Amino acid sequence: MEQQNAQDWEPKILAFLCNWCSYAGADLAGVSRLQYPPNIRIIRIPCSGRMNPAFIAAALRNGVDGVLVSGCHPGDCHYLSGNYFARRKFTVFKELLEFMGVEEGRVHFSWVSAAEGEKFAQVVQEVTEAVKALGPARHYVKEKIEVC
Amino acid sequence: MEKVGAVLVAGGGIAGVQAALDLAESGYYVYLVERNAAIGGVMSQLDKTFPTNDCSMCILSPKLVECGRHLNVEILTLSEVVSIQGEEGNFQVEVLKHPRYVDEDKCVACGVCAEKCPRKVDNPFDEGLSKRKAIYVLYPQAVPLKYAIDRDHCIYFQKGKCRACEKFCENKAINFEQKEERIRLNVGSVILAPGFEVFDARLITYYGYGRFANVVTSKEFERILSASGPYQGHLVRPSDKREPERIAWIQCVGSRNINQCDHSYCSAVCCMYAIKEAVIAKEHSDRLLDTAIFYMDMRTYGKEFEKYYNRAKEESGVRFIPSRIHNVVEEPDTRNLLIRYTDNERQVIEETFDMVVLSVGLQTPRSLIEMAEKIGVSLDSHGFCSTSSFEPVATSRPGIYVCGAFQGPKDIPQSVMEASAAASSAAATLAEVRGTLVREKTYPDERNVAGEPPRIGVFVCNCGINIGSVVNVPEVAEYAATLPNVVFVDQNLFSCSQDTQDRMKAIIQEKKLNRVVVASCTPRTHEPLFQETCREAGLNKYLFEMANIRDQCSWVHMNSPEAATEKAKELVRMAVTKAALLEPLREVELGLTQSALVIGGGVAGMTAAKELSAQGFEVVLVEKGDQLGGNARFMRHTWKDEDIPTFLNGLIRSVEEDPRITVYKNAQIKAVDGFVGNFKSTLVVGDGAGEEVTVEHGAVIITTGARESQPSEYGYGEDPRIVTMQEFDRLAAQGDARVKEAKTIAFIQCVGSREPQRPYCSKVCCTHTCQSAVRLLEENPDREVFVFYRDIRTYGRNEDHYKVAREKGTLFFRYDVEEKPRVILEGGGLRVEGKDHVLGIPVTVEPDLIVLAAAIEPYDNRPLAQLYKVPLNDEGFFLEAHMKLRPVDFATDGVFLAGLAHYPKPLDESIAQAKAAVGRAVAVLATQRLQVGGTVAYADPTKCTGCGVCEMVCAYKAVHLNSETLTSEVNEALCKGCGTCVSSCRSGALQLRGFSDPQIFSMIDSLSS
Amino acid sequence: MDTRVERIRSEAKRLLESGEVDLVIGFRKGSIPMVSRPWFVRTVEDTELLHWDGFCSLNLCNYLTKRKEKVAVVAKGCDTRSLVGHIQENQIQREQVLVLGVPCEGMLDRRALQERAEGTEILEVVESDGRVEIRGRGLERSFPRQEVLQHCCRICRHRNPVLHDRLLSAEVEEHQVERYEDVEEIDSQSPEERWAYFQNMLSPCIRCYACRNVCPHCYCTECFVDCSRPQWVGKSLDLNDVFTFHLFRAFHMAGRCTDCGSCERACPVGIPLRVLTRKLEKVVSERWGFEAGTDLEQLPPLATYRPDDPQDFIK
Repeated sequence: MEQQNAQDWEPKILAFLCNWCSYAGADLAGVSRLQYPPNIRIIRIPCSGRMNPAFIAAALRNGVDGVLVSGCHPGDCHYLSGNYFARRKFTVFKELLEFMGVEEGRVHFSWVSAAEGEKFAQVVQEVTEAVKALGPARHYVKEKIEVC
Repeated sequence: MEKVGAVLVAGGGIAGVQAALDLAESGYYVYLVERNAAIGGVMSQLDKTFPTNDCSMCILSPKLVECGRHLNVEILTLSEVVSIQGEEGNFQVEVLKHPRYVDEDKCVACGVCAEKCPRKVDNPFDEGLSKRKAIYVLYPQAVPLKYAIDRDHCIYFQKGKCRACEKFCENKAINFEQKEERIRLNVGSVILAPGFEVFDARLITYYGYGRFANVVTSKEFERILSASGPYQGHLVRPSDKREPERIAWIQCVGSRNINQCDHSYCSAVCCMYAIKEAVIAKEHSDRLLDTAIFYMDMRTYGKEFEKYYNRAKEESGVRFIPSRIHNVVEEPDTRNLLIRYTDNERQVIEETFDMVVLSVGLQTPRSLIEMAEKIGVSLDSHGFCSTSSFEPVATSRPGIYVCGAFQGPKDIPQSVMEASAAASSAAATLAEVRGTLVREKTYPDERNVAGEPPRIGVFVCNCGINIGSVVNVPEVAEYAATLPNVVFVDQNLFSCSQDTQDRMKAIIQEKKLNRVVVASCTPRTHEPLFQETCREAGLNKYLFEMANIRDQCSWVHMNSPEAATEKAKELVRMAVTKAALLEPLREVELGLTQSALVIGGGVAGMTAAKELSAQGFEVVLVEKGDQLGGNARFMRHTWKDEDIPTFLNGLIRSVEEDPRITVYKNAQIKAVDGFVGNFKSTLVVGDGAGEEVTVEHGAVIITTGARESQPSEYGYGEDPRIVTMQEFDRLAAQGDARVKEAKTIAFIQCVGSREPQRPYCSKVCCTHTCQSAVRLLEENPDREVFVFYRDIRTYGRNEDHYKVAREKGTLFFRYDVEEKPRVILEGGGLRVEGKDHVLGIPVTVEPDLIVLAAAIEPYDNRPLAQLYKVPLNDEGFFLEAHMKLRPVDFATDGVFLAGLAHYPKPLDESIAQAKAAVGRAVAVLATQRLQVGGTVAYADPTKCTGCGVCEMVCAYKAVHLNSETLTSEVNEALCKGCGTCVSSCRSGALQLRGFSDPQIFSMIDSLSS
Repeated sequence: MDTRVERIRSEAKRLLESGEVDLVIGFRKGSIPMVSRPWFVRTVEDTELLHWDGFCSLNLCNYLTKRKEKVAVVAKGCDTRSLVGHIQENQIQREQVLVLGVPCEGMLDRRALQERAEGTEILEVVESDGRVEIRGRGLERSFPRQEVLQHCCRICRHRNPVLHDRLLSAEVEEHQVERYEDVEEIDSQSPEERWAYFQNMLSPCIRCYACRNVCPHCYCTECFVDCSRPQWVGKSLDLNDVFTFHLFRAFHMAGRCTDCGSCERACPVGIPLRVLTRKLEKVVSERWGFEAGTDLEQLPPLATYRPDDPQDFIK
């Protein structure tokens, strides 16, 4: 049944991009008119260090099929070390999430600099394909309950 | 005579705009005089800019708007300087203001007049490739956005009747009675930034421009590529509007040519713009577009240029053919164009192209030459404003400064740099009257929105056709209207244009909006603009949110308009959801230390120190070595043949005697604390366990220089007769026999530059080599001088040295990077074996001296980069905030850059850059107070458990645990707003204003609704 | 009587008498078998009730925070590791606490003993040299101690206090036991199986939060699950919310949990929660060589970094 739907199913992917590198890289992809799949929605955060893993969980629970978090390359952080702390958090969170049964291809991390418009487009392409291959998010999706 | 705290800037292109903004920010009132109906200059006509491929209009527009709305910049359009009386500090400038025939106060640029105007005329903004009406705005984002009547084409003015525009203008803005005005302005200083015109390609008849429809100039091609151009960005050729499959660029049209046009100089920008046009054209084209650039020398000498060139070759597949083209022949039936050239094997090849782009050079317009004469500013033999290398922005008339292409052919960053330098120089002469004529911006009181339910206004932008041609904007707007809390929705053609801004302001007030969402481009460039509009409308600027439906939607999903529209809707929904939770944020004011630190005691550093002192600021100059002077100590002449040692000694003396400058030699920076306005740097002075000195300063200028590299090739180090450029200069100065008695001298270029380990051009070597060749031959015409080179990069007026070197008999042999010349040491003699690229036969030279043009390489800048939190590029040079428009700034506030630490460059450019850095630094230092706060973290003491993880992760020491309460506190002045502490806090005690957990969760939630 | 009990009592007495501390926190025997409860001693008389046996598993660090007075605490290896965490996280000042370290042979698993009694009520447990004897009406059985230890104690690598001011008995031998057999087994499963495993494991959870309340490292004023602005984890018994609660409870323990076992002991429905915290313990140890609560000088792993930290998962 799912396989049939998979034909025209398009995943919804949420990306959290740091303002200084990855968001600028995404802008550069735009300025360069690099084409990539339209499945991605971007939330701008000041730094990958701002990234609370709870945002990833919230996205998945809300039925987002894939999440991408992207920041400055090691050494490039506009805030010096935000991305290093982010990397430690992501390491732990990703291991735990996957340990508990969320598929490996749901949550992605990348470093994209302000100059890497092409890399950004490529990452989006790869993430979209990886999420497509997994099919719609099923496990960690919260059934919507109307809360007053 | 009393000095006047105002400056007149003549010319509203990017250089004039930058100079005006810098001066206005540092306490001077500015008159910006522009010949056209709007400011923006040539840059507003360009499509993309090299080497970042930034959209020209996109990065320019915010500056224009800033200029247009700046309280201390008065723009006089359709105006020209007629005469300048008086002297430095107090000039009377007569300005002739031509009538617009439209009342600027009444015109709202609704466009009805142009719609009704029956007279169509060639649109000069599109280089005549499209039509406009006799009543017009220069371009859609024009500042000021006001219509003007083109008297020469207006039917009423020509034939005495029509006045259709007047009839239909609702606002009664048309005024046929307007007369020419002569305005007298009293200013302390004048900056000339009148720009350039492109060479008239008609004069070179054999390329057929003007006769063959598909031969266009590079400037026309910019318009063809532009999304707002005559063909809406569709790459088609003029004759039949068909998409071309093959395009050729012919370089040096009107440059490096004394036969047809008496322009011996190189126009300095054409190689890069041609590459850029070829690369962008390929991106525009649906089919596999063939692009070929015919050139003499590929001059990609600037920062990141060589890599751009390599990428164009290797990744984009642009063909580069070193051949001067004799003529272009049109095939009558197809209107295709035939080009004949010789290839590497000296075979004659004929190729047909659908289009030929002529890379036209830059020149000073006749009118400008006359004006210069009238105001007593002398020009050089090429018609450019003559300046000394040591005062690169000072004209021959004291108090009048120059920047941009009028000073010499140059690109945008160099123009911007000179603009800041000219601003700084002008400010330096007027330091004592700083702040006397400025007006303070007063904003309306901020409306208290506390307790009000959100009333969100959504403005959806078409960005011309950038968004609207892909995303269904009306549909998005309609959708936005259905979202909770949205009370108003509008669509804009250009949200950033001044009239839209004014309209938004009115709407915010009228509709009592308390949150504003703009769905347009990227907040990285446009958020400040819209936030300013909010402020002007009495709204706290943090009650603003953007949805990026262009850069991250319409531009990247061009082939899926439906999906792009859906995405745009969701992006708007997310923004609206967050907007509802936005809260007004306050900014606090801090005092600042009105002094600067300059790191590096070379010419750039000393110039910066002198300039800061001249502007009235205390300076600490730190030099790591035991003497001032840097690389200039080893140099003899500038490219204008001025004597460097005399200048240098004078500069060193004046720095050391300056009471405002404290010099520390043998000193290095050890630690840095604080931030813009309030830095505290610790120096270690002296060797080993040196003395520590703490310096408090408001800004810092990094001028640490670079050095000549040690070659590892061509037998360097194996024979004393193989020397580097710098060694050659020293030997020549000392009268060393190796130079003095050398009969045959061989120069080898690009030694260590343009190689994989240093993929950049060292910029100064070709000029230096040609200049040296000329001197050697002047000393002794019997000498033989050989130059082995890859491309001779005597850009700009340096070309004269190349020309003279050839005339005096220097022999130039081009070599390929795969087939470099070989240096052979045999039997006590030197031999260079190469190849004659013209004849294709081997050449052997037996020189007495070999001079290697060794690459310029950066020092290890990493420690300093870390201390001041600024980035380096791949090669280890400091990386400025924006390569085009912020060439001396860093992203980190209060830190500036000049000289070789930025990139290799000749002395005059280093000096200009140093002055520019001062111009920018003074814009910070001249303000008495510093605004901080806004997007910063805050701690909720009731939730804080005092675990201290926030303190551990903060890179700025902005969070600390109060030892009394054992809860965290954030120092707003130090907090940069990264949010690392916030996400590390398990107990939810820390939040980041503007990016709080509830705000971000709300956006996530809104995705699924 | 266990010599350790005498040492605890005499030491406590001395400390109170001399005024060196205002309070001694230790254990006293419970009113029913197999339970020892915390005992707060402020007077010399009360020291007589201080006790030590194989049922002193409660982590007394829970009682140390937010105190002003000077406190002595009786602490096993795992307790002292929690103490290290507390000192690092400013929950207690090192100077304020006097650690009476007790090398530990592992605490007994009440449930396991009960099972071995096969329905008969256990009235007395006698511990002696490596063996444990249970007695009841018609019941008298003895087992090697190792067999009836709590799981966390069976795989414990820090039986001796890592931090102490007095050591109340000779150090015991540490065992380099394999700690992650169950974690590795789950790791080897497919995502589907792992998902099913945890859904199954967590489905009995009644959201009583005993695991959180008993944990010495869960000391937030307001726990994320109780937060209403934003309320991003529902308070329902919806398995997704339950899952999210346990996901983040474990995440918040990364690099902090000392595997004292309190959470599992407190769980009324017997969920083996420690597999989550031990997974993270394994991650921080393998990636960054970190072990929680063993070194006062070592920064918590999420509050520090190395530029060359492994990042194979980042594109």
